[in-house]
Amino acid sequence: MKQFGKILKFELKNYAKNKAFVGITIFLMVVIAIVMFFPRITVLFKANDNSDTSADLSVMLVKADNPAQADMVRETFAASFTDYDVQITDEEISVIKNKITAGDAECAFVMNGATSYTYYVDNLSMYDMNPDIATGVLQQIYQMNAMISGGMSLEDAAGVMSIQIDGEVESLGKNQAQNFFYTYIMVFALYMVILLYGQMVAMSVATEKSSRAMELLITSAKPINMMFGKVLAACIAGLIQLVAVFGSALVFYNINNSYWGNNEIIDSIFNIPPELFAYMLVFFLLGFLIYAFLYGAISSTVSKLEDINTAVQPVTFLFLFGFMVVIFSMTGGSVDNVLMTVCSYIPFTSPMAMFTRIAMSTVPWYEIAISISILVASTFGIGVLSAKIYRAGVLMYGTSPKIKNIIKAVWKA
Amino acid sequence: MILELRNIEKSFGEKKVLTGVSFKAEGGKAFGLLGRNGAGKTTSIRILMDVFPANSGEVLIDGQPINYSKIGIGYLPEERGLYPKKVILDQLTYFAELKGMSRKSAVQSIDYWLERLGMIAYRNKRLDTLSKGNQQKIQLITALAHDPDIIILDEPFSGLDPVNAMLLKDVVKEQISKGKIVLFSSHQMSYIEEFCDSIAILNNGIVALHGDLRDIKRDYPRDRLVVRTETPDAIISDFGSSCTLMENGDLMIHLASPSEKKATMTRLIENYDIDEVKVFEPSLNDIFVEYAGDAVKED
Repeated sequence: MKQFGKILKFELKNYAKNKAFVGITIFLMVVIAIVMFFPRITVLFKANDNSDTSADLSVMLVKADNPAQADMVRETFAASFTDYDVQITDEEISVIKNKITAGDAECAFVMNGATSYTYYVDNLSMYDMNPDIATGVLQQIYQMNAMISGGMSLEDAAGVMSIQIDGEVESLGKNQAQNFFYTYIMVFALYMVILLYGQMVAMSVATEKSSRAMELLITSAKPINMMFGKVLAACIAGLIQLVAVFGSALVFYNINNSYWGNNEIIDSIFNIPPELFAYMLVFFLLGFLIYAFLYGAISSTVSKLEDINTAVQPVTFLFLFGFMVVIFSMTGGSVDNVLMTVCSYIPFTSPMAMFTRIAMSTVPWYEIAISISILVASTFGIGVLSAKIYRAGVLMYGTSPKIKNIIKAVWKA
Repeated sequence: MILELRNIEKSFGEKKVLTGVSFKAEGGKAFGLLGRNGAGKTTSIRILMDVFPANSGEVLIDGQPINYSKIGIGYLPEERGLYPKKVILDQLTYFAELKGMSRKSAVQSIDYWLERLGMIAYRNKRLDTLSKGNQQKIQLITALAHDPDIIILDEPFSGLDPVNAMLLKDVVKEQISKGKIVLFSSHQMSYIEEFCDSIAILNNGIVALHGDLRDIKRDYPRDRLVVRTETPDAIISDFGSSCTLMENGDLMIHLASPSEKKATMTRLIENYDIDEVKVFEPSLNDIFVEYAGDAVKED
């Protein structure tokens, strides 16, 4: 136990002295700060630019054969398209086209009657909503005119058109939309942290082996202490990094709270229910540990640093598979599909799958208990096994090892 | 204190590496573990250090199974290596702490050894700023700092210049005089011959020869004489085919039996100008080649 403590301390110190680790943490905190200060900064710039914004509105041309219709369309369009300077034109279509391609106007609506128009624009953007808005507006105008000519007063017609429907949604289970973002963030954070720290553990083991410091370490310390010390140090370093990044996000958000308005996404992230946060922590730690053990064990069988990446690939693929299943199920909207249910019991995929199901659906408590029990037991089992692989692996030099040989060596050891 | 390996057997998969390996090493004496590459020296050392268990057999201290939490072992591996990018004091302290020392006494002991080996100026430098020989001296400290009862030195002299080799010899002699068990493994027979009272020669995982070095030498038949003289030609013509000229210019005379020793010596001294005449004793090198060399034939 004393030895384990020494190893843990030594490994943690390595992270503190690792320039890349400290650099990445600070870089992430700076990025978070910039993101969180962004609304405040844009407001500052907007305040300066306020005077000449109206002059910069892009031009939208409206052409109609009927002058009355042209006036009405211009008026309603001006109210709907506040980002545009809406102008009436009676020029030929070819002239209008030239104006658009020359950049004098951004777009044009040419009315072919009360219920038909042609929209002209230079490059049609993927997010161009103008035709949709115009269709809606023209539909309203047509309906209004129909009601008025049917004998209704303008006020009554306007009242009918602007009728508000009050509706309330009450979700008896989980609100997937609301939980989506922090589930996404947790799954993504786990993905990043496991890949990053898994690699770090792997590097740490392989470096000791290739520098032959292992010859001395293996005779000075118990492999199980070495393995658990290394992996837990990585885990603690990872948590410190996450706390630094998310903690600074929380602090910077609160500083700029008023500029963010009531941003639902961000509010939902910071208002994660406590019991969900607890699950997040449990699954995060166990998921991290089980993969870190695997990375450590596998890298102990590698003789050359260059070979690490190829050696750990199977683990990375296993992990990516779990990640994909979860992300596709989340975006597909059904987190309780068969694959997800199966994945939420398999120890290598359950940290992401079960957490996602808990957050975005209703899972009975015993299912959660079974999943966590399997995960805890297998994390410990993988930990012990990885120490055995480590002991056998670190003394194998030369050709890249075959899985068969590793299993043999572990069995015999 | 007596360290004993008794009937150690070890296989890796199908390959049998050690077969019934037994030897004894005594405190206050140096023990030489010899063998060609792949003979099983490192495997024996690893079993002795509990890196992995033997399939069968025992490691004993004074007849009792060794208790690794009580008996300290210092090890200088043949494959040298520490953390190249770390400060020397930090990593030496780490290794000493792993062996169970407190931080304070570890630093104290390390400072003593850095001073003793003339390395104190490098205390706070990174290891990779040092020359290879100096790195080796740092590595030696990892084997000595925790004041172990058993010191295992695998090829300790390789890569050291004569001055550093002398320094290491002094350190080793000092440790022996403190009553520690010093176990040498080396291919440099001259050093083994200088230090070791007893040896074991491993050949293909079997102890081919084990015992006190002087006894081993005495057990060789004393039927050869080494003669140094200014007039070898006369002697050669006198003794005929039983006399051969050796590479260093000395003569070797084969006797029909050891009992002829005295008569032959008298005959030589009375008839020729002799600088020196003595009974031939094989060097450790000769013994090694004889016992470990037949692996070549077996292979």
